[in-house]
Amino acid sequence: MTDAEVMECLARGRQGDEKAILELFHYMYPHVAKLVQANLPARESAEDLVQQACIKVMAKLNQFSGKVPFLHWVSRIAVNTCLNQIRHEKRRPEVRLADLSEDEATVVEHLASSPGELDASEQVASKELVDKLLGSLRPADRLLMRLMYLEGRHVDEISSLTGWNRSLIKVRAFRVRGQLRRRYSLLLKENP
Amino acid sequence: MNPIDDQLNRLFRAAAQGIAGQGQSDLVSSPAYGLETRVIAAWRAAQSAETGFWDMTLLVRGLILASLIMVVSFWPALTSAESTTTNPFAEYLQLTDSTVPSDDAP
Repeated sequence: MTDAEVMECLARGRQGDEKAILELFHYMYPHVAKLVQANLPARESAEDLVQQACIKVMAKLNQFSGKVPFLHWVSRIAVNTCLNQIRHEKRRPEVRLADLSEDEATVVEHLASSPGELDASEQVASKELVDKLLGSLRPADRLLMRLMYLEGRHVDEISSLTGWNRSLIKVRAFRVRGQLRRRYSLLLKENP
Repeated sequence: MNPIDDQLNRLFRAAAQGIAGQGQSDLVSSPAYGLETRVIAAWRAAQSAETGFWDMTLLVRGLILASLIMVVSFWPALTSAESTTTNPFAEYLQLTDSTVPSDDAP
């Protein structure tokens, strides 16, 4: 759906056409669901949070002016919904080697011993290890790391999604990266 | 590059591939039951909230207009009440009253 089509749907919706609103909803839903799942707070149900984000988007639909692409606007609301939720979460304590599963410990070992990329079979364990490492960060820092390194988003894109300015993102990313480095080094030191 | 940074980068790359390899979950492919209805309800509520806002401003405007009409319609009555205090007859009565001695002194 192009932005012109989105605006047309919106205009039809304003005239009371519910089908147009449903069209918009079905267009944005997969995008919102993916974003929420990627940035899901640890204890929150994905379904509840996706519903909450979708309802927020729909309640604010009349505020959409068309100055930015529709999906960017929707993403920002979805990311802010996640951020509001993870703000209430407490940080987990630092990750210790004893907290890792056998597969995760193997991943750490492989990373330290060989310079090549990890096997496809180790991807799931890598994801879990990253989740544990990120879990020890502040919620906003965690979100930034996810957007930057797991979703591969650029600084400008993160800025438009979160509303943070570019320099704040760069400074925060540098600082958080340092924290991750220290935490990962501790794991390596524990690894015999 | 710092060896720790290199290891972290490889770890993030593997994790990102792991996420991409998971494919679409049921949640992404189809909305939850009843979500369409809730979404439409939210949109309608937002619409009616906007309409409500305009109704409120209309009401306020109506009240202001009504009070203006009230003031304009009461204006002649108020001015006529004032004119009774400046009635020459009333002044004459006041003068007459003032000539009457008010004490019994000789």
